[in-house]
Amino acid sequence: MPDASRGSLDRRRFLAVSAGAALTAATLPGCAASVDSGSGAKGAKETLTLMDVAWPKKDKQKAEQALGMNLDIITYDVTKLNAMLAGDNPPDVVRGVGATDVPYFAARHLMADLDTYFAESDVLKPSDLAAANDVWRYDGTTRKQGTGPRYGMAKDYSQDCMFWYRTDMFEAAGLELPSDTEPLSCDAWLDLGKRMVRRRLGKVKVYGLSAGTLGGPLTQVMWMTASAGGSLFAEDLATVDFSSPEALKALRWYLDYAKSDIGPSVVNPNPDGWDWPTYQANRMAMANDGYWFGGTIGGDAKIAEVSRFAPAPQLGSHRISPCFSGTGYWVPQRAKHKDAAWRFFEYYFGGTPAQDRATTGWGIPSLNSLRSKMPRDTAFHQQSYEVQQRELPYFSVLPVSPYAQVDALNVVLTKVLPDAVKSGTAAGKVADALNSRMNEQLARGKELVG
Amino acid sequence: MSTDQLAGPDARSPMRAATGRTGSPRTRRIRSLRARRTGAFYVFAGPWLLGFLAMTVFPLGYALWLSFTNSDGLSPNARFVGLANYREVLTDPDALASLGRTGLFTVITVPLTIVAGLLLAVLLNQPIRARGVFRTLIYLPAVVPPVGSALVFKLIFDRDSGSANGLLDIFGVNGLSWLADPYARYVLISLTVWGCGNVMIISLAGLQDIPAELLDAARVDGASWWQSFTRITLPLLSPVLFFQLITQIIATLQSFLPLLISIDPTPKGVGAVPESNQLIMIDVFTQYFSNGRYGYASAMLWVLFAFVMAVTFLVFKLSRGVVFYSVDPEPTQTKPRTIGDS
Repeated sequence: MPDASRGSLDRRRFLAVSAGAALTAATLPGCAASVDSGSGAKGAKETLTLMDVAWPKKDKQKAEQALGMNLDIITYDVTKLNAMLAGDNPPDVVRGVGATDVPYFAARHLMADLDTYFAESDVLKPSDLAAANDVWRYDGTTRKQGTGPRYGMAKDYSQDCMFWYRTDMFEAAGLELPSDTEPLSCDAWLDLGKRMVRRRLGKVKVYGLSAGTLGGPLTQVMWMTASAGGSLFAEDLATVDFSSPEALKALRWYLDYAKSDIGPSVVNPNPDGWDWPTYQANRMAMANDGYWFGGTIGGDAKIAEVSRFAPAPQLGSHRISPCFSGTGYWVPQRAKHKDAAWRFFEYYFGGTPAQDRATTGWGIPSLNSLRSKMPRDTAFHQQSYEVQQRELPYFSVLPVSPYAQVDALNVVLTKVLPDAVKSGTAAGKVADALNSRMNEQLARGKELVG
Repeated sequence: MSTDQLAGPDARSPMRAATGRTGSPRTRRIRSLRARRTGAFYVFAGPWLLGFLAMTVFPLGYALWLSFTNSDGLSPNARFVGLANYREVLTDPDALASLGRTGLFTVITVPLTIVAGLLLAVLLNQPIRARGVFRTLIYLPAVVPPVGSALVFKLIFDRDSGSANGLLDIFGVNGLSWLADPYARYVLISLTVWGCGNVMIISLAGLQDIPAELLDAARVDGASWWQSFTRITLPLLSPVLFFQLITQIIATLQSFLPLLISIDPTPKGVGAVPESNQLIMIDVFTQYFSNGRYGYASAMLWVLFAFVMAVTFLVFKLSRGVVFYSVDPEPTQTKPRTIGDS
């Protein structure tokens, strides 16, 4: 036996000690969940952990001063969030998309019910909350979004199926401008797009229409199906049915749109990821974006002068204008500083930041009392404000399933549709393929949620 | 008084008695040197070993456990499903197709990258003017972060406003949807080969290590450039090339580049990756973070791990006889040679 083995730390013991230390290091984050790190010593400032997109330093300092606590801002990353939730060590406040995130997280008991806080608040009164905040509600008994406890709140919102258009391009094409009050039919909308597209040698020089709601192709089809009088999801939200006459009509519309190649679609996605750069470069006649898009347009006087806002088109006889985003914040069920999180809610959604946001045109304020602050100082802002006000009564929550993430269902669409468009597969066959793949996913999720 | 006490401390430990605590000063010095060496080994190996256990062994074990469940990472109702996930991976047409695409992608890009890097290294090993500038320029793409290169490629190959179609436009040729199927795979291959600077720099180091006398002797003996290259340079460079082959294969099998040249290079954008670029890691990522199938995705990773191991083993087996080491990699003589040994 070599002499070294006689030392106090032989090779086997060294390996065993290393394994123990490594295991401890790997499991420590999990144990940290039971340690309240924020409200340590008496007199020390509380620290609120916020998972969000980056904040300007000035805004962070202002918030810390107003709230009397430190803000630890972690950059939003879905993989990190999942790891933190799974490790029982979540942030105190998380940025989220109300329309698509709530059912999935709430059904898994990961979100804190904020009803008690709302009931006791003088700043965020339920009676003052815009209807779009209902996308943050989820009823665990009926498994329905839109009713039940509130699990978060939108910082602002838009009715995402409305659209913006360029008057100069309409005039150049000799076409009549869409009405400010009467919605177009989806077929007429598509036809306008086809008439305004400009091509050269296989390339689209000017897109006629960019039809794509914020939630991806799934929400697009959901909205159109609802407008035709149907529902993509079954009553219990455990299955989809693309084969119903209404859903099939919506699917046919989308396939026709993608095949006609008049704007970004699952076949030819927009390289910029959103409409503004193309719209600003005079290469897009109609952009299917809600009121928030006016915030960017308003920043460019030349483009604002030739831009107008229009109501959401209709596929059938139902006028429906949903919100597929409602970006805001939620508090995880296992957050360590819920009271501090609520103080942040009151400051951010009801205080100075909310009032400042309301004046920018980057979305409709989530408090009705702030709506009067929306910009109306230019003809552009006045027109978009009036169109938006008339659209509000047509808002409704289109619930998504708690059994699968909207992203997962969108992945199915982006896998199936491009081939279908290229091969000219009949809509009925495409619907069958979508039903089969999506229902398999939903069934797996249902088994887990119970 | 016991016999142990009478016999002294060494009597209780036959080993200690055998080696002797009190040896000659020379023995003590050797022992002290060995103890110091052992200590140094533990000090240097310790941090790595801790990291390896915490960041590799523990996650691997955790993923192995997950692979036998139907966990979505968040729901409390996950249950043990045995080998069901593995059965699904090995029968799922999507998973098998992405594994096949990954294999094909590796078979195409690894040789291309190595050949391109070697050719550049041979060129830049010539006594030409501004050789340093050329070496820097060619190595530069390997230094640029993949995100940056991917962004540039996206701008070049955009269907409606990219310069690739702009060039075709000049000649009156119809533009192509480079970033969509079926052309997206060519853009991906170009992007991968574009980073051959790494191979070039390592090959260059290998080339400079080849004794000039050997090449001079070959020239004196009348060997052509090609003969010198194939019979002297390549054999002497073979360990370097083999090292690159192995590391490139492993890296390419785990490539994540398709996401970077997709429309939305974030976890949410995995769905937008064209089918021809749906490599296994993209599929794994989709299963984890879009579909929330932690169990199934973990099984996919273990299958990929087995695949990587099998391919590496196969390459090692096939390399026998074509890789020449100037020093025997597995020396039979274990006794260290010291100055003065004949």
